[in-house]
Amino acid sequence: MTTTSPPSKAVRQDRLFSAGLIEQRQRGALRLAALLAAGIGALAWLGRSTDPAAKPLTGGPLTLGAAIAFTGNANLYGQDQRQGLAVAERWAQQSARGGRPVHLQLEDGASDEPSAITAFNLLIRQGVIALIGPTLSQQAFAADPIAQRQGVPVVAPSNTAKGIPEIGHFISRVSAQSSVIAPLSLEEALRRDPSIKRVAVFYAQDDAYSTAEVAIFQKTLATLGLPPVTVQRTQLADNDFQTPITSALQLKPQLVVLSVQAVAGGNLIRQLRELGYRGQIVVGNGLNTPNIYPICQRWCDGILIAQAYSPELNTPINRRFQELFRQAHGDRPPPQITAQAFTAYQVLFEAIQRLERKGGLTGVSLGQARAKLMDELLGGTYDTPLGPIGFSPEGEVLQDRFYVAEVRMDPDGRDGRFALVRELKLTESQGQENRR
Amino acid sequence: MIETLLQTLLNGAASGGVYALVALGYTLVFSVLGVINFAQGALFSVGGYLTFLLMGGTIGVNGALPGWGLPSGLPFALALLLAAGGSGLVGLLVERVAFAPLRRRNAEPLLALITSLGAGVVLVNLLQLLMGAEGYAFPPSANALAGLPDVLVIGGARIRTIQLLLLLISAAAVVVLSLWLERSRGGRALRAVAEDATTAQLLGIPSSAMVRLAFFLSGALAGLGGGLIGVSVSLPGPYFGIGYGLKGLAVLVLGGLGSVPGAIAGGLLMGLAEALVPGEASGWRDALAFAILFAVLLLRPSGLLGRRTVDKV
Repeated sequence: MTTTSPPSKAVRQDRLFSAGLIEQRQRGALRLAALLAAGIGALAWLGRSTDPAAKPLTGGPLTLGAAIAFTGNANLYGQDQRQGLAVAERWAQQSARGGRPVHLQLEDGASDEPSAITAFNLLIRQGVIALIGPTLSQQAFAADPIAQRQGVPVVAPSNTAKGIPEIGHFISRVSAQSSVIAPLSLEEALRRDPSIKRVAVFYAQDDAYSTAEVAIFQKTLATLGLPPVTVQRTQLADNDFQTPITSALQLKPQLVVLSVQAVAGGNLIRQLRELGYRGQIVVGNGLNTPNIYPICQRWCDGILIAQAYSPELNTPINRRFQELFRQAHGDRPPPQITAQAFTAYQVLFEAIQRLERKGGLTGVSLGQARAKLMDELLGGTYDTPLGPIGFSPEGEVLQDRFYVAEVRMDPDGRDGRFALVRELKLTESQGQENRR
Repeated sequence: MIETLLQTLLNGAASGGVYALVALGYTLVFSVLGVINFAQGALFSVGGYLTFLLMGGTIGVNGALPGWGLPSGLPFALALLLAAGGSGLVGLLVERVAFAPLRRRNAEPLLALITSLGAGVVLVNLLQLLMGAEGYAFPPSANALAGLPDVLVIGGARIRTIQLLLLLISAAAVVVLSLWLERSRGGRALRAVAEDATTAQLLGIPSSAMVRLAFFLSGALAGLGGGLIGVSVSLPGPYFGIGYGLKGLAVLVLGGLGSVPGAIAGGLLMGLAEALVPGEASGWRDALAFAILFAVLLLRPSGLLGRRTVDKV
């Protein structure tokens, strides 16, 4: 048998201190756990209560969000789009008295992907019912999935690359895919000069729009039995094209095809002409803006471009659009990108008014309203400045009127216009074939 | 074959001359303060727009004052010189705002990179606010090249007349600056400050004034480059100087930080490297140019003509 001696006073004090410490720690841990639980609960409550999609709509104005380029190189297009949206707002105020008021919230989507994502997120958090934008296809591939995941309808006014509506159910566009319009200007160039055999192609290899469009140009050239004698790859930020142009000119091309953005395109045309190229030039949709005139000046004269819009289309809505545009911007015809931005606003506005007439959106949650709006948008037909349009179930614009224009510069080379050369009406099967 | 080689050399020299001009601006500031002025690209843009306005150009519809312009335009050479001076003054302003306060507080030199970057962003955005983002081309009537052919054919190789002019003016600017640095009292004082600011101050050289002079000259060089490039490829938007600024930065490192001959050699090498890329692979020319930069720095970490620095302990 063993006996244990009673613990000394110091040991007893130590044990008491340890027990107290453990108790104190347990109390601390409990407090911390309670605080964490309360914090998580508060966050969950806050998250639930601030999700705009969960809130029921009131009878007030609905907000459309537009994320377009106000800064960066794409601002050249963004400026045109801003004008189109401003004209559309005035048109909506005048033409739909008594309907559901719609307010436009603009955000700078800049010219890069992170800015477009930030603008989309901001507008979605502010509770917009639908989004217009972003300006560039490259940005759309990054920002549209954000809207798709959150069930927010998007109407792209200027994204022409292949695969945009395929991003998801909520993504649509009013800008016809490059594959539909790009071949038309090539056909016109060959109609003017059937002896063309040598074609040089230039495109920006770091731009989603250019790479998509140049594939269409090359496919069309192959179909026409004209494989390019050279394909020069440039970059978005390039301005000096001395090297690629002199390389291409050594191969004596009879036709030059450009698929680049506006600024680079204007410079390329000017430098091509200065370096002695005298043949025809066919350009892609990136140059569909009068903002190229100050850059290539007199050298712009004669370039061929296929367009999804013509100021010469004689319909009531196009005349009204032009009248409002001229009131704000003087006596010059609106460019395609402005017309497409107007159309993006118009189709959303009309779909909202139709929904209102069918029973209204008041009382349903914003999330449900967004889903209803998307279905209504895709199901409707619209008489727009671009002509009559509708949407495929995937959100692709269904448009049958297209135009080939030639740039005609004023004698002083400071200003010019897209003069209509030909109007083409595609049959449904031609349209489907081209969209593939 | 000879025609192709000559064409490549001309193409390389034309772009290399501009790169050298931009890199020289960086070099001046770096040699005096040991920091890189990231607002250099923005000053390049400022020079382009100033030249445009002085030559009688008017502000476009998206600018702050649509249709505004000088009653009459100046001749190209005068406009270019005045615009370079104006950019130099803006460079001085950048020094006052982004560099001087940090110097007074003996702040980390690294901080000046951020403040100068910020100053550059503000400048570019101000330009956008004032001029809009549209492209501008110089008024043809005021063009110094009126009456000259668009293109010159030299031994079968083609070069745009404006590019040849650009190359000649860049070369002249580089020569004048080099001679001034080597031979003049002011140039020698600037080099003394670059060598050791404290000793220079003790010798009676006003270091602060020399720093301001370096910023003025650096801004003026950027402005000169911006005006020349503007005439050559138009003004595609307020951001156009940023790209040239980045290329100039690469040339600065390639040639050797703070070395004037290095900036010239680096610019020409970079231009030639880009021109040597075959036409079909021209989209990869930046990659090749930077691969050369990488290889040079592996072999010579101080750059082509830079001096190796020894840490004293």
